[in-house]
Amino acid sequence: MKKLFILTMIVGIGHISYGQTYNDFETDSTSTSQPFTPSKTQFMIRGYGHTGLNFMNSEGEKESSYVGSAFAPIFLFKHSDRLMFEAELEFVLENNELEVGLEYADVMYVLNKNMTVRAGKFLLPFGTFMERLHPAWINRLPTRPLGFGHDGIAPSSGIGIELRGAFDLGGPKLNYSVYSTNGPRLKDGSEEPEEAGMLLFQNFEDNNNSKAFGGRLGILPFADSSTEFGFSAYSTNGVGETDSEYEDVGAFLYAIDFSFVKQVPAIGGFIDIKGQYNNSNIDDATYIEIEDDVEEEYTFDNKSNSFYTQLSYRPTMAESDFLKKLELVGRYSNYNAPEGAEWEEQSEQYAFGLNYWLTWRSVIKVAYQTTDSVGGHDGGGTVNGFYIHWAIGF
Amino acid sequence: MKTIHKIFIAGLMFFITGGIIVSCSSTKDTYTAATDVEEEFKIEKSGAQLWGEACNRCHLAPSPADYNDTDWSTISLHMRVRANLTEKEITKIETFLKSAN
Repeated sequence: MKKLFILTMIVGIGHISYGQTYNDFETDSTSTSQPFTPSKTQFMIRGYGHTGLNFMNSEGEKESSYVGSAFAPIFLFKHSDRLMFEAELEFVLENNELEVGLEYADVMYVLNKNMTVRAGKFLLPFGTFMERLHPAWINRLPTRPLGFGHDGIAPSSGIGIELRGAFDLGGPKLNYSVYSTNGPRLKDGSEEPEEAGMLLFQNFEDNNNSKAFGGRLGILPFADSSTEFGFSAYSTNGVGETDSEYEDVGAFLYAIDFSFVKQVPAIGGFIDIKGQYNNSNIDDATYIEIEDDVEEEYTFDNKSNSFYTQLSYRPTMAESDFLKKLELVGRYSNYNAPEGAEWEEQSEQYAFGLNYWLTWRSVIKVAYQTTDSVGGHDGGGTVNGFYIHWAIGF
Repeated sequence: MKTIHKIFIAGLMFFITGGIIVSCSSTKDTYTAATDVEEEFKIEKSGAQLWGEACNRCHLAPSPADYNDTDWSTISLHMRVRANLTEKEITKIETFLKSAN
């Protein structure tokens, strides 16, 4: 025991003496270190969140609720000046449950100055709303236009591969993207008969061998990049399950988008006009509806369309700091689902809002929205809503 | 629909092939500022001007002070692809943001 104690003391004192030798402040590593240089590998968390209060009045039935507590972190892993992985998660409290979604997760590599390749789950450039404008801190209103989101006709994301890039035409600019994804799957009515004929874009594991192909071409004709016209298309040869009678049902969708953003001195501020028209054309097919325990076959011309246009104005040249941070917004949208479908619907919506920008990425939105529908899941009618939302990007 | 699909695929293939040829044929792999000769004929936009134009197309232009240089280089690569900006645009915007933060 005595020998072990002496040995321990020698090792301990020796270790301290050795350590002291290297604690010489004249040669301390802090005094000889190089200036900080960032590594090429970088990691960042960005994203956005929003919350709010909704008052809804549906044909005299009133309800109010604090809603929309949503958190959407975006993870950026930059491996080099050309290679990056990006992913966005979305946590939303809806229907008394926490819903978690993977908005996108893709790897991208800059091939050359005009072309980048992306692979994985990415936001589809079908128009501009879902790819560029839907995040709560960017969207000028607390709601989405008709035709987007759940049961919408515009695809928002897909799993596949994409080439995209931009060209400087010496003033005007051109941007493009072309992609191939799993494509949508057709709701044949076996699970939800009231949605037979709809496309479901969440096709994580392809239900057939037909891939979807699509792209968008955007042109900014003026040197100040204030105006952009875009044309998008999305086509697939088959949306039904392999070996089912719907296997060869094809679909062709297209969208036309427009954007004008410019500070106009004559009106003392920024004017922002956005618009998008979506059209969906799915091959006719025969579906089954059950009435009084009797199966009946029916078909319909499966064509849908939706449109929105939005105008916003910020008096950025006003003398008052308070006025500078205000923004007025108005939006019109409509949605027409196929006549003869179980989900037949014609809807029109007007939304008006007043925003106050706390910072460039944090906004308080107060909005009123009225929607008139004929048909649809809820049987139609008028729904009015008043919203107070707070969105923040980070 | 099958005919439309075939025409669309053919058009897409034509576009992809053309795009690859054009984008790969450039000998300049990275953006370089305009030469003195070019400047005689063309006034290039500054990074600050492009920052105001490009960012405001979707969201309010960010404050340069909100991120450091390292963060701006990560964000720039992300936004270059997300917003389909040209290399020239994003290079100038990134340089401006780093110089002004």
